[in-house]
Amino acid sequence: MVRITGRYLLRRVAISVVTVYVLASLLFVLMHAMPGSPIDALVGPGMTSEQIENIKQRFGLNQPLWRQYIEFITSVTLFDFGYSVQTLEPVRDRLLDRFVPTLVLFAPAFMLQYSMGTIIGTFLGWKRGTKTDLGGFTTGLFMYSIPFFWLGWILVGVFSYELGLFPSGSMMPAFTSSFGWVEAVTNLLWHMTLPVLSLALVGWAGPMLIMRTTMQDVVDADYIDFARAQGYDEPTVMTRFGARNALIPVVTQGIIGIAFMIDGSVIVETVFSWPGIGQLLVDAIFAKDLPTALAAFYTLGVLIVALRLVTDVVYTMIDPRIEFGGEA
Amino acid sequence: MATETKEVEADTGSAMRERLYPFVVGVRRTWKQFTQSKLGVLGLFIIAAISFIAVFAPYIAPHPLEWQAFGNNPTFQQASQLPHPPAFGDPFFAPLGTDHLGHGILTQLIYGSRTALFIGLAAGILSSLVGVPLGVISGYYSNTWVDEGIQRVVDVMYGLPFLPLVIVLVFINGVTTTNIILGIVAKSWLNNAIVVRGQVLSLSKRPFVEAAEASGASDFRIMWRHILPNVLPLGFIYLAQDAAFAILIQASLAFLGLADFTQVSWGTMLQWIQVQGYIYTAPWWLIPPGIMIALLAASFYFIGYSLEDVMKPGSNQ
Repeated sequence: MVRITGRYLLRRVAISVVTVYVLASLLFVLMHAMPGSPIDALVGPGMTSEQIENIKQRFGLNQPLWRQYIEFITSVTLFDFGYSVQTLEPVRDRLLDRFVPTLVLFAPAFMLQYSMGTIIGTFLGWKRGTKTDLGGFTTGLFMYSIPFFWLGWILVGVFSYELGLFPSGSMMPAFTSSFGWVEAVTNLLWHMTLPVLSLALVGWAGPMLIMRTTMQDVVDADYIDFARAQGYDEPTVMTRFGARNALIPVVTQGIIGIAFMIDGSVIVETVFSWPGIGQLLVDAIFAKDLPTALAAFYTLGVLIVALRLVTDVVYTMIDPRIEFGGEA
Repeated sequence: MATETKEVEADTGSAMRERLYPFVVGVRRTWKQFTQSKLGVLGLFIIAAISFIAVFAPYIAPHPLEWQAFGNNPTFQQASQLPHPPAFGDPFFAPLGTDHLGHGILTQLIYGSRTALFIGLAAGILSSLVGVPLGVISGYYSNTWVDEGIQRVVDVMYGLPFLPLVIVLVFINGVTTTNIILGIVAKSWLNNAIVVRGQVLSLSKRPFVEAAEASGASDFRIMWRHILPNVLPLGFIYLAQDAAFAILIQASLAFLGLADFTQVSWGTMLQWIQVQGYIYTAPWWLIPPGIMIALLAASFYFIGYSLEDVMKPGSNQ
C-alpha cells in the first residue's frame, strides 16, 4: 500500500477550506441580494423608526458592509448563525435539533440502497450482454428517473392510506412526549420504513451502474480465468474474485453518493415531514427566515465538502494505482 | 484581410465539407454503434414520440387547454363532482378524468410535454455549451494557470449542494422557467467539464494532435478542428444525462412550490394535486404525470448510458 504524501493531503485540505470560505461568502452575497432586508419579517407597520433602528442594531445591520462581512465570515466559521427571525431562537440550536434526525434517516437508507445496488450491479455486470442484464439495467434506469416525491406519495397512499400499515410521515407519534427505550426504537423504525424504502427504491440504480461497469471490465481479466481453472465454482469466482476487485470505484463513489443523497434530503424530508435539515431549509425559505435558510444551506455544503475530502483520502488509500502529488 | 475573405468565399463549399468531415465521420460511427443498443433506440423513439406530441399538441389534445368540464361557472352540484374520474362522452369526454377545476388531465398532460422537453433540452444544451468548451480548454492547457483556475472553480462549485443551491437561487431571482433552467445549469455544467477534460488529456497525447502541432496549427485550430469533434460524442452523453436530471429537478422544485404556475407542466400538475389535497383520492390525476416524468427522464438516461456502453472500447462483444 502506498502512503499518501503530506503535500497532496495538504493541498486537498487547502482546497476544502477555500471551498467553505467561498460558500460562506456566497451566503453573505445571497443575504444581501435578497429583495428587502433580512429583518423584514420582524418589522411591523406600527413601529417607530427608533424601534426599527433598534432591531437593526441587534442584528448588526447598521455597520459598514465590510465589517458586516468580516463578522459574518468569522461567526459562520464558528457555526454561529445568529438568531432565527422566525422563532428568535439561536439558529445553531435549531440546526442541532435537526441534524440527528437527518443522520438517523439517511444512514440506513444509504446502506440499504448501496447494498442493493452493489449486489444487483455485480450480478448484471457478470451476466453482461444477456437479457437479464438488459432487463435489470432498464428497470434500474427507469426507477432512477421516478420523481422521488411521487413515489413517496404512492407508497404512502398504498401502505398508509389504504392499508394503514405504516404512518404517513414524521418521526415519532404525535401528542406523546416520553417513551420507554424499546418503545422509542420500535416507533422510530416503524416511522422510518416508508422513507427508507422509497429512498432505496429510487436510488439503487446509482451504485448499480458503477458496479456493473467495473464488473464488465473485470469479467475479461486473466485472474478470473485462472480462478475458474483452479476449480472454484461460478458464484465464488463472481463474488470473491470478480466483485472484490471491482469494488474500489463503488466505495469511493459511495461517499459522493452520500453527498448526493443529502442533496435530496430537501425533498425526502418534506414528503415524509421528517424533522431534518432539508425540511428546515424549505420551511425557512418559505417563512422568509433567511438566517436559518442560509445556515441550513451552509451546513449541507460543509457536509458535502467534508465528504469529498474523505473520498479523496480514502480513494488514494485503497487504490494503490493512483498517483499523488501531481494533479489533484 | 480582404483577400483572405475572398479566398474563403471562393472555397466555401469544399472548406465547409472538409471542416465538417471529421465530425460527420464521428457522428456516423457513433450512430452505427448507437443503433446496436436496443435500449438507446427505445429511448430515442420515446423522445421522438413525446416531441411529436409536444409539437402537435393542439391537434392531438381532445380539448383546448382552457377547456373546463362544466364551463368556468359550474353549478354547485356539478362542482361537487370534480375532480371527475375518467369519462368517455357522458357527461363529457375526458379519457383521463379532470382536475379540481374541470381541466382535462390528458389535455394538460399533452401540453405539459412542451415544458418538460423545453426545460430538459435547454438545460442539457446550455450545460454542454458551458461545460464542453471549458473542459476542452482546461484539458488542452493542462498544468497551466488556465487549467488550474478552471479546476479550482469546478472544485468549489462541486462543494455546493445541488438542489438547495437551485432552491435558494430560484427563490431569490424569482420563480420563472428561465431562472429554473439557469439555476440547474449553474451546477450541471461541472460534470461535462470534468469528463471532457479527462478525455482531452488523453487525446492531446495522441499522434494526430502532435502532428497538427508540428505542422504549426494554432491552439484554437487544434482545439476546434481536431479535439472538439472527438469529444462531441462524450459531450452528447452528458447532454442527455443533464437533460434527464433537469426534468427531475424541475419536478422536485414544482413539488416544493417553486414553479411557474401560469404554465402547465407535469410538475405543476403534481403540485396542484398536492395543494388541493386529492393525492389519495384521485389516482387518475396522480399517476399519469409521474409516469410521464419518469418516462421522459428515463429515455434521456437510456440514450446517455447506452452511448456510454457502446463507446467503451471492448464492450461490444
